[in-house]
Amino acid sequence: MEEGGLVRRCIEAAAESAKSVEKWRRQRRTLERLPTQLADALFRLLHHRRLLYPSLLEIFQYCLEEVDFHGENCIDAEWMAYLGGFRYLRALNLAGCRGINNSVLWSITGMVSLKDLDISRCSKITDAGIEHILSISNLERLCISETRVTSKGIIRLSSLVNLRSLDLGGLPVTDQAIDSLKVLVQLEYLDLWGSEITNEGSLLFTRFPRLAHLNIAWTEVNCLPNLPSLIHLNMSNCSIHSIFQGHGPVKPSLSELLVHGATFADVDQAFSYLNIDHLSVLDLSSSAISDFNFLVRMRSLERLDLSSSLMTDYLITPVASTAFKLRDLNLSNTKITTQSMCILAGKVPNLEKLSLSESMIDDTSLQYLTLMPSLRTIDLSKTGIQGCTYAEGDRLAKIWSLPVLQNLDSLEILNLEGTRVRDDSLHPLGLLKGLKHLYLKSDFLSDVSFHTMSSLPDLRVLGFQGAVLTNNGLLSFRPPERLQVLDLRGCWLLSKDGISSFCGAFPQIKVKHESVQMLHLDQSQKLGSSKLKPDLTQCEPLGGHHFTDERIKYSREELMELTSSPPSDVLAGSLSLLPVALKKADDRPEA
Amino acid sequence: MEEDTVKLISAEGFEFVIDKKAAMVSQTIRNMFTSPGNFSETRLGEVTFPEISTPILEKICQYFYWHLQFARCAIPCILSPICQRLRPQTFMFICIYSSRENLCLSFYFRKESEFHIEPEITLELMMAANYLHT
Repeated sequence: MEEGGLVRRCIEAAAESAKSVEKWRRQRRTLERLPTQLADALFRLLHHRRLLYPSLLEIFQYCLEEVDFHGENCIDAEWMAYLGGFRYLRALNLAGCRGINNSVLWSITGMVSLKDLDISRCSKITDAGIEHILSISNLERLCISETRVTSKGIIRLSSLVNLRSLDLGGLPVTDQAIDSLKVLVQLEYLDLWGSEITNEGSLLFTRFPRLAHLNIAWTEVNCLPNLPSLIHLNMSNCSIHSIFQGHGPVKPSLSELLVHGATFADVDQAFSYLNIDHLSVLDLSSSAISDFNFLVRMRSLERLDLSSSLMTDYLITPVASTAFKLRDLNLSNTKITTQSMCILAGKVPNLEKLSLSESMIDDTSLQYLTLMPSLRTIDLSKTGIQGCTYAEGDRLAKIWSLPVLQNLDSLEILNLEGTRVRDDSLHPLGLLKGLKHLYLKSDFLSDVSFHTMSSLPDLRVLGFQGAVLTNNGLLSFRPPERLQVLDLRGCWLLSKDGISSFCGAFPQIKVKHESVQMLHLDQSQKLGSSKLKPDLTQCEPLGGHHFTDERIKYSREELMELTSSPPSDVLAGSLSLLPVALKKADDRPEA
Repeated sequence: MEEDTVKLISAEGFEFVIDKKAAMVSQTIRNMFTSPGNFSETRLGEVTFPEISTPILEKICQYFYWHLQFARCAIPCILSPICQRLRPQTFMFICIYSSRENLCLSFYFRKESEFHIEPEITLELMMAANYLHT
């Protein structure tokens, strides 16, 4: 029995086109009796299809509670005037809307129902805009990160006593400003990254008894006082001397600690005051730590990020001893080799996600991965994996290394982009029946390995970038039943026609390719009469580089002539020896 | 066959007599008739909807029958590969099949034919459908 089938069909029919909207829009001025979840579903669909315009907002005045317009540059005074009439608006997201300035905020002054306001990255908002926000007295969550508000404006925020969450990232918050915010005793979430606070300012954090989430990345703070309620702490890119040194009977039971890129004067001393029994997430990436013995005591770690750190095979033993509960381990861009995998194997029974991208492992590590029974996601991109090892003493006898991954029953996501695998070594991948996501990117893969992927029944996402895949190979491919996304970017032999016939035959599969983005751009320009113009910068080909197939420039006879001509470095000296086709190259129209 | 029908009454007092099976597409109506207790709806076999107008209720009854035809029947699914190769316009074909002792004549629309909803009634129909849990 299809739940809500008719409701869904009605919403679809109402948002089908601008004409359908016109037909029902005039029936009544406002929809008081529409239940909120229906209004929300209809509004989102209209927004997604770019059918919204300011006067249409009037209809939703009494039935919408949440409006999300982030990234829409067309939101201006007219839109805000209608939004100001919303009676029950609880959450308004205008992040990144370039049209929002101080005067536009006047429309929402005094809105009693508004509890959540996000105007981050609206660069025209200054201290004058804060005056309007101050009248919204019930505000509980406010995000003004990366606007042009200064310390003076932030001091004025102390009148919003109901604030629970305050995001002041990227603003020049001084210690004095934090001092005046001490009346916000309900504050649970405070984001001060990139601000001007110092150690004196950090002492003031003790005035917030409920503070659970604190972000002081990119500041000058070295020492953090004891904050008993803290659960999440981000001190990335700071130079840390001590955390939670100070008076107080209760040590905070910190659950997440992010110190990406931080430098430590003395790691053991810095962590000595930390109550690490509950620490479950630890991010040490890009940090300059050379001794990881402090990890030994951390028994509850679930996520550990050591990417781009100084981790090597000799330093990994402490990780192995704490890794019983570990679920996510990131060792990318480190100097670890197979020896580390040997040390970790058997000690990580709960490990689900392992990232070894850009590390120095090779095919011999794969057999140790089979001793990690719960692995679901493996990232082996940009490593030296070839898919085969050689028997001892006999350099010609290849032993395929990828079949051992069959032993991992829960393996779902495998990333082999940028490795040295070839068609023959990828053939055994057809045996990994549980695979859902597979990412491949290599200049040397061809139709053969593409067709091996048909035998993976559960595959949802297949990335096959940069390969030598022909149109014939694509059209004769029988995709697995559940395939949803096919990423073929960088397959330079595929033409627009080949891709569109594949898309026509299998409309449920989303194909990504440079020529496909051009197709979507054409279609969206045809529908361009809608009021909310799509942000065209998002339609540029990903990766930013255009590629042209040089062969199109020449006719068949010219190409045959070119194959028999001497190489160009010989001809460099004497232009008269160039084949006729190359001499004319500048006159050709661009492909 | 009279016991297998229910009567739906609109705001203006129009009475729609439809199969019980069709009415059960709506979760609300199904709950009304299957819940224990001696409700007047169950006894008399009729439900009044003082907030749903006549054209909307008519459309809803059409939806019930449409839903019965296409959302559950297995035979159109078997025939749909054949349907997809034929002309794209909506058509009706008659399929005769025998099931045990009966010889049944059934009408099937092509699987692609959607339930068309006029834009003017979408809002009211949406609210009524939400109330009826269909």
